[in-house]
Amino acid sequence: MPKRKLDPLPSAAFQILLALAGEDLHGYGIMRQVAEQTESRMRLGPGTLYSSIQTLLEAKLIEELDQREDAKLGQERRRYYRLTSGGRKLARSEAERLADLLRVARARKILRGDYV
Amino acid sequence: MSEKIYACLLRLFPSHFREAYGDEVLQLFRDRTRDEKGFFPRVRLWLDLLADLAISLPRQYHYVRPALTGAAVQQRLQGAPAFFVLTEESPGSAALILGSGLSMIALSLFSILLGHAGNHRPLSASVYQRGHATDSRRSTLGHATGQAPGDAKDVITNASRMKPGEAKPNDSQSKALLPPDSSRFPEALPPQLQDVAQRERLMNAVIDNLKKHYVDPEVARKTGDALLAHKKNGDDDKATDGGAFANLLTKQIRDVSHDMHLEVVYSQQPLPDLLPEPTAADLARYRKALEQDNCTFKKVEILPHNIGYLKLNAFPDPSVCWATATAAMASLNHADAIIFDLRDNRGGYSSMVSLISAYLFDHPEYMYDPRESPTPHSWTPSPVAGNRLADKPVYILTSRSTVSAAEQFCYDLKILKRVTLVGETTRGSAHAGVFHRIDDHFGMGIPEALPVNPFSKTDWEGTGVEPDVKVKAAEALETAQKLAEDKLQKK
Repeated sequence: MPKRKLDPLPSAAFQILLALAGEDLHGYGIMRQVAEQTESRMRLGPGTLYSSIQTLLEAKLIEELDQREDAKLGQERRRYYRLTSGGRKLARSEAERLADLLRVARARKILRGDYV
Repeated sequence: MSEKIYACLLRLFPSHFREAYGDEVLQLFRDRTRDEKGFFPRVRLWLDLLADLAISLPRQYHYVRPALTGAAVQQRLQGAPAFFVLTEESPGSAALILGSGLSMIALSLFSILLGHAGNHRPLSASVYQRGHATDSRRSTLGHATGQAPGDAKDVITNASRMKPGEAKPNDSQSKALLPPDSSRFPEALPPQLQDVAQRERLMNAVIDNLKKHYVDPEVARKTGDALLAHKKNGDDDKATDGGAFANLLTKQIRDVSHDMHLEVVYSQQPLPDLLPEPTAADLARYRKALEQDNCTFKKVEILPHNIGYLKLNAFPDPSVCWATATAAMASLNHADAIIFDLRDNRGGYSSMVSLISAYLFDHPEYMYDPRESPTPHSWTPSPVAGNRLADKPVYILTSRSTVSAAEQFCYDLKILKRVTLVGETTRGSAHAGVFHRIDDHFGMGIPEALPVNPFSKTDWEGTGVEPDVKVKAAEALETAQKLAEDKLQKK
């Protein structure tokens, strides 16, 4: 199931993997990070966020850490998530796939620019 | 307030999701409401949440936990059906009470339905209503498989001779038509006999039926008086159950009337109630079945020495089988002798008996049928145009299974000295009475017509028709062929 759900990788799941690539985050942290890295184009709602987290956990692309507080957000204990090596690998291959697409797009003169 | 609303909306998610992430979802909601203050951010927040619900709810309900799918695949591989628990929550007490209540209702309904099903009589009993009577409702029981449903002459074979053990395999249907034999349920004590008043009511019904339907009113009156006298003497008290009481009444009736066809029948199973006349569809089905069976004309061929051979397994309804019968006889028209093989013949219509017999005479002959008063069909429609068989030697093969109308064919043609019977003594089923239902367990057979036998004082009831040449049924054909060949050579 998870394999089918993640192939192709949904953009929400890819964004979560990217968000966790930098540091371990709790749910709200992931949401804010995704909003930041997409310049607020993607705001993950709670249902979408935790559905994706559930799928990624089952595919062992991320893992759950012990609960702890986030000093900036008060006393509440929060569940943190971390990218696994499998998750990192998948995120990289997805990025490479997109880079290939980008190259094609440039070759077809759909996109201008010289980086990548 | 808004958190409460969102908590309510959260209940739309499946329980497994709420259990795993419910708290965190609410926490995230709180984080956002804390950080996104002001009118527009709050509107945007709610729009986000509603859009999120619309997207993620269906996804969650399509979600199947891998543990379950894994188990399902494994189970299916083993070929066994499997059930899965999709939620670990135990059902609420209200749901449990409702569920047990519904189960109880379903169970009791099921048992009630089962109880009613016990009274249902299968249609295969082929019991059809004929007319109405005031006190005893009247049904008829056909006793030969060749008869059309509902079109059969009202007959019931003499049940006293038709013990189950005697029934032949090919007579299974006629066995099914008989009321279950009382001797099989000796311990049964039907409710009718539990008090004297019920027993009296039963006897009065028997007497009423006799007076109303029996062919000889004087005998009916005498018989009724005798039954009352027996009751007065306390002769009936020794009957301990329904079967014994029915047998006792039968004996008392026969002692006075000397008519062996009068009888009282007891059935532990409820006797069939009035059933509707067969529909056009029933009749069409019956016709089709007969036609598919070539009207039971199993074999029509010319044997060596130009002996015609016809194997006939019933005497089917001429209104359906006239063409088949005349074609079969026409194809044997040039034979020098005829062998009718009736060893597996289970009877049927006396009108077919007359139709086939017509080819054996050059003038009309009366075909005596103990079951009915003479009708135009009782005479053979002889001579048949173009027929050459009227003076040819005829042999009939018989067995112990040859029954009913087939016995009429044998009996009449033998008495008319037109045929030679080869084989075994026939079954011996001649008489019939109309069956009158008295109540759920009792009924009686009453002959309503006693045609005069022009040939003899007795017929084949109980004794069967004796063959002229007694051989085993299996050897009958060979013997008849030899007899025919000898006879033809002498010519």
